[in-house]
Amino acid sequence: MVPLRESIVTLVLALVLHAMAYGSILALAAQGEVLAERAGVVDLGVEGLMALGAVLAVIVADATHSPWAGCLAAAAIGAAGAAAFGCATVILGASQTLCGVALTLLGLGASGVLGHSVAGRPVTATLPQWTLPGLSSGSPIGPVSSQGPMVWIAFLILPLILHVFLFRTAPGLALRAVGEAPASADASGLPVIRIRMLAVSAGGALAGLAGAAMTLSVLPVWSEGMIAGRGWIAVALVILCGYRPVLAALSSLFFGFVMSLGFFGQAQGWPVAPPLMNMSPYVVTILCMIVPSILFPKLRRLWAAPAALGAPYRREER
Amino acid sequence: MTGAAGAALASLVFPGTARSAKHFGTLAESELLIGFAHTSPVNDGGWTQKHDEAIRHLHALYPAIRTLYVESVPYSADATRIFRQFVAEGAQMIIATSNYGDFISDVAEQAPDTIFLECDGHRVSDNLGWYYMTHWYASYVIGIAAARLSRSGRLGYVASFPTPSVLASANATLLGARSVNPSATLRAIPINSWFDPQAAASAGAALIDSGCDFLAGIMDDPGYLRVAQQRGVWAAMWNTDMRQFGPDAYVSSVVLDFAPFYAQTVRRRLAGSWRAEGRFLKLGEGVDRDRWGARVPPAVAREADDVRRRILAGWSPFTGPIRDSRGIVRVAEGHTMSDADIYAWDWQVQGVSGLV
Repeated sequence: MVPLRESIVTLVLALVLHAMAYGSILALAAQGEVLAERAGVVDLGVEGLMALGAVLAVIVADATHSPWAGCLAAAAIGAAGAAAFGCATVILGASQTLCGVALTLLGLGASGVLGHSVAGRPVTATLPQWTLPGLSSGSPIGPVSSQGPMVWIAFLILPLILHVFLFRTAPGLALRAVGEAPASADASGLPVIRIRMLAVSAGGALAGLAGAAMTLSVLPVWSEGMIAGRGWIAVALVILCGYRPVLAALSSLFFGFVMSLGFFGQAQGWPVAPPLMNMSPYVVTILCMIVPSILFPKLRRLWAAPAALGAPYRREER
Repeated sequence: MTGAAGAALASLVFPGTARSAKHFGTLAESELLIGFAHTSPVNDGGWTQKHDEAIRHLHALYPAIRTLYVESVPYSADATRIFRQFVAEGAQMIIATSNYGDFISDVAEQAPDTIFLECDGHRVSDNLGWYYMTHWYASYVIGIAAARLSRSGRLGYVASFPTPSVLASANATLLGARSVNPSATLRAIPINSWFDPQAAASAGAALIDSGCDFLAGIMDDPGYLRVAQQRGVWAAMWNTDMRQFGPDAYVSSVVLDFAPFYAQTVRRRLAGSWRAEGRFLKLGEGVDRDRWGARVPPAVAREADDVRRRILAGWSPFTGPIRDSRGIVRVAEGHTMSDADIYAWDWQVQGVSGLV
């Protein structure tokens, strides 16, 4: 019999490991969506872009034997898909909601067609493990220190870069200005359309990368329908985190944690009904949205969406 | 008319026992058009892929017949529309490779000259029959190996939904295990999907972290087999030979093969001898355990195969006393559960937890 304390430590470590691996997929997609929404564009196509990225990553990684080429291809298809969405919504001013849903359906369908040849096959070239320097495997948190590169990118590198970019640099300020008051931004000489297109494309690239993280690192296998709604969760997380990249990463980690807690609870035989356990991530999300805004009304303003979110900008109509 | 209704009712009450008397005339091979309605894509790597392979086998046997298929048919009025479309296109035979309940029986009533077959169905009428494989015997055989391979005696089970089919699979696995290790237990996690590789992998990892060292399940994808491979525990799968995804962890699969049944069905239809019935495909008749995994010791494989041979010879392991998870005897000593009983299994046997 393993001592109780040790078994709890093992369990918590296993939970954290899980939360990081699965949360990283959400974190990449959610941070991409933060970029797009900060520029004033709601991209509901995340689910479809993730599906496209996931399948293309496998196809390219198999053909080139390089997982990094697969990641690159996934990011490229994500960016391309998002750019097409941008052409319709940002340049032509079509409804972002409709085009986003269309992009999701298109991505899911196209990924099924593209993936017919690789469905269910083991991926030959997967991403390596990266070990954090300074953490030996002998330390108590050893198992957590070695993970797929996407985990470190999603939780350490990307939040840092995006936070500094959005809140500490002039281009970041320009991006936020375009999302808050495109007319004023335009008047001050900022290229609104170009900035929005760049933000949406970069966000799409991250969504594609999230798909690649799933098929080249976390699972690693592709099959149709494997994104299974995680793109929608990423979109929801963006609202939950108040459009902040660091919080987006943290809430993805938290979501991954609550999700794995449901499985662990059932495996450990906790006396909670499995359906309740399975709905816990969604219940927790709703609670996280409602409770703080009731307790701290000031948060509503701080947490508010960019003012021009979802509204196409037409210079002629300002 | 009342008589016909009565007969139809009787067949509803006693599924599997009734056989309709209605005759369908002979057909030339080139006249036969069969419509297949699948529940998932034909390349799902599991259930539907097995059906699709059987269809290709049909074409090899009967080159002149024509088949149509529709993938990912939802369990909704859309299914009715698809069955109607098959009828309109002149299909003499419509095979749904999953349960479509009223959505198929409604259409069957309106098209009395078309034959309908439903996999995992429950109704028999003049032109509607069903078929299902008795996968619980294969699970029992694999359960024996599970108990021999597991050090902890704790088996994990990645379940989809707590349906009778899943309960039969989990129960049979543990009954097999308990036949050699009476203290074995089985912990199931329903992931609310037949196909969600990430959820299956998460559930598998959670089970291993909770002390299980043998994973079984009823998934269409190899999600938890990969986890088992990484973590150095054993796993048994479903549908197909999946050893390539975890060669060291792989023990066996409940493998399916619908080709012989479909070939027989077509042969009967062409000869005019097809009758509507509920049909259980026996062990060795389209469902079996897969060739044992490379690391399964020969002695373990032999022991399990001895039981398999006894089942093939007619012995049933589902003989009382069998207790449920609350300790109440549900199958009395000397009684044997029929396939129809097992097909409607709605309780967990003692030692199984997590499903009801």
